[in-house]
Amino acid sequence: MEFLHDTVVLSRMQFALTAIFHMLWPVLTTGLGIYLVLVEGLWLTTRNKQYYYHARFWAKLYLLNFGIGVASGLPMEFQFGTNWAPFSEAVGNFFGSIIGFEASWAFMLEAAFLGIMIFGWERVNPAIHYVATILVAFGANLSTFWILTANSWMQTPAGGTFENGIFIVRDYFQAILNPFMAVSVLHMFLATLETSLFVIGGISAWYIINKRHPDFFTKAFKIALATAVVVAPLQIYVGHLSGEQVYRHQPTKMAAMEALWETAPAGQPADWSLVSVPNPKLERNDFEVTIPNALGLILELKPNLSEPVQGLKEYAPEDRPGAVGLVYYAFRLMIAIGFFLAALMGVTLLQWLRGKLSEEAIASQRWLLLGWIFSAPLGYVAVECGWIVRCVGRQPWVVYGEIRTVDAVSNLPSETVLTSLSLFATVYSVLFITALFFGRRIIIRGPRFDLPIPGIEEKPAVETQPGEFKPDERPVEAQQ
Amino acid sequence: METLDYFLPQVWFGILALFLFLYVMLDGFDLGVGILSLTSSTEQRRSILMTSLSNVWDANETWLVLMGGGLFGAFPLAYGTILSALYIPVFLMIFGLIFRAVAFEFREQADRKLLWNIAFGAGSFLAALGQGFALGAVLGGIQVDDTGHFVGGVFDWLSPTSVVAALTLIQGYVLIGSTYLVWKTEGDLQQTHYRTAKIAAVTTLIGAIALTAVTPIFYEAARSRLFERPLVFIFAIIPALGVVLIGLLLRSLGKEQDRLPFVWSILLFLLTFVGLALVVFPYIIPTEITIYQASADPSALVFMLIFIGALIPVMLFYNLYQYIVFRGKVTAEEGYE
Repeated sequence: MEFLHDTVVLSRMQFALTAIFHMLWPVLTTGLGIYLVLVEGLWLTTRNKQYYYHARFWAKLYLLNFGIGVASGLPMEFQFGTNWAPFSEAVGNFFGSIIGFEASWAFMLEAAFLGIMIFGWERVNPAIHYVATILVAFGANLSTFWILTANSWMQTPAGGTFENGIFIVRDYFQAILNPFMAVSVLHMFLATLETSLFVIGGISAWYIINKRHPDFFTKAFKIALATAVVVAPLQIYVGHLSGEQVYRHQPTKMAAMEALWETAPAGQPADWSLVSVPNPKLERNDFEVTIPNALGLILELKPNLSEPVQGLKEYAPEDRPGAVGLVYYAFRLMIAIGFFLAALMGVTLLQWLRGKLSEEAIASQRWLLLGWIFSAPLGYVAVECGWIVRCVGRQPWVVYGEIRTVDAVSNLPSETVLTSLSLFATVYSVLFITALFFGRRIIIRGPRFDLPIPGIEEKPAVETQPGEFKPDERPVEAQQ
Repeated sequence: METLDYFLPQVWFGILALFLFLYVMLDGFDLGVGILSLTSSTEQRRSILMTSLSNVWDANETWLVLMGGGLFGAFPLAYGTILSALYIPVFLMIFGLIFRAVAFEFREQADRKLLWNIAFGAGSFLAALGQGFALGAVLGGIQVDDTGHFVGGVFDWLSPTSVVAALTLIQGYVLIGSTYLVWKTEGDLQQTHYRTAKIAAVTTLIGAIALTAVTPIFYEAARSRLFERPLVFIFAIIPALGVVLIGLLLRSLGKEQDRLPFVWSILLFLLTFVGLALVVFPYIIPTEITIYQASADPSALVFMLIFIGALIPVMLFYNLYQYIVFRGKVTAEEGYE
């Protein structure tokens, strides 16, 4: 248990734990935010109150996620200072500015308008409420943009140089538009959206199977499905672009993702590893199943590699990621989930086109609906795997090729970090279980259809209440 | 160029002071209400307390995130040094803020509310405690080498100054929280918080005097800078104004005014804050590293000034807007659906 006395390892574990936990919550709020904009817009244009009840129901899940997301986001920001002080000092000029941008451009917007979105239905008119909902969704997605910009810069630093260990920016826009930025932002944006769509679809499928408000939830199911038709295949393509970028810019990560020890030379095909048992000590894979000649097709959509794929052995052990197996399997699991979700979408779309998803017939699609329920958590798993590939694969660097993780850690006693790490592990376990418990309860309680509909003038009571019988008391003659 | 080297860090010192003040004022009443919720006699009262915050707490807390991000970008050295020196108080605060943040939604959903009542009240207390320790530790000075890196121990933050600062800050939060509740509630609940506000006004005053007495930086500032002309006025005027404000506050509480107690409390916070900022300036890590030594590259300060500075009025505007939307007294029926 030597690592219990190693501040670097403990600080890394703490960052990984808090990041993995934090990531669970904004995934849903950013994606669900877009869905809320969609259903509220549908309500305002069609005036079909079903959409209004959708907005109200899904906003409850939004709120549950948001609180935990805010709370677990704080340690992310402050850890840069507490546990990674040398890193903060070295990259503050750019990275710090971007963290400040996220707070001021995105986070504040989301936080300030969330109050109106959740509690303001009867306090502002529907148009202003809709603006609030749009700003909340926009703020959440802007957060994705800034955070992925900052993280991409750590992968492919650009726009300046390190002088005496401090990054001096020459061109801020070049630093923001670093090689990884555009594709990474898009990949994460689609990831949050796709995860949310399969959560919405999965929960809706559960209601349909249990015959609770099946008409209502068939609507949500179809909105999620229709959006997934675009998102799921697009995400696979953007994922491919993302992999291609790693191939061009981060050879050590590429090698770890493929558990490739020997270089695959350019100009000829190479095998793609499907299953393997990497052995970093002996610098080989103890066991491997490969698909012949597939690596070039996967990376470049053509059989022959145009550039060599460097093997791990090209680099000294201290210059390559340690956890090869973790990166390798996280990458494969992410891909498997991406294709599975796209396939599920494809089959469901087919059934829709065959008319099997009509309100009468949908309940008979039991296996399909069970598939959607099963898929609800898969997006989260893929997102976490993606981050593991991205950040564990980047090791031993914190800023790729520039700052080593071991040099970036604060000088703290290991006991202190061990204490905070243990506290995080305990508190986050409790929060995770509690959130699942209350999320389940929100779902079991289901939507409310008695909420007042804003913006519609309450008609005078005579029309809504059964009319009182008032005998005509005028003289009979006058009644004629 | 020379003037720019001085001017930009000063501007950013001002901006960060603004963010920190907005945070201390806004999350101050937020945390104060949380601490006061520990004394709520009924579930209904506690519900009203939490409803009065439900739409504002996350935006209030965001000023802290903003201050953190701004400090990270503008004074990276200070960000790393101060936060790693204050490891324990910072995590006390973070865990406190986590507990109270999740309590809002979990309590609403729970059948048995006790656990989440404690999470909310104790979390608020813990957050205030951590912040108070941090404030006291910064005022007490952080031990650094000549490059500005922290060289002290993990418990350096614990000192008479930090204990007094923590107790005083908690009193101050209870004061501003009480006056916020006076503004936002009515009836018996409002009466209760007229009383808690009066008590907290007195204890805050005692705390402020004690803090002045035990904090060495005040003596040093007084010794080395008391005879610079503007400072003489400042050090003479700030305590005098403070006494006047406490008097006005107690008078408006006595008259059972609705909004003025909150206004006086805010002004009291502002006055204290300006006083502390003037004592600390131009240091960012008292008493070794100045804002000029710790500041980021001038290009970074300009870049951030354009992209964050320009947004400050916008952020203030829409925050104000949502306070206007949710104006008026909080009643038992309102709140979470």
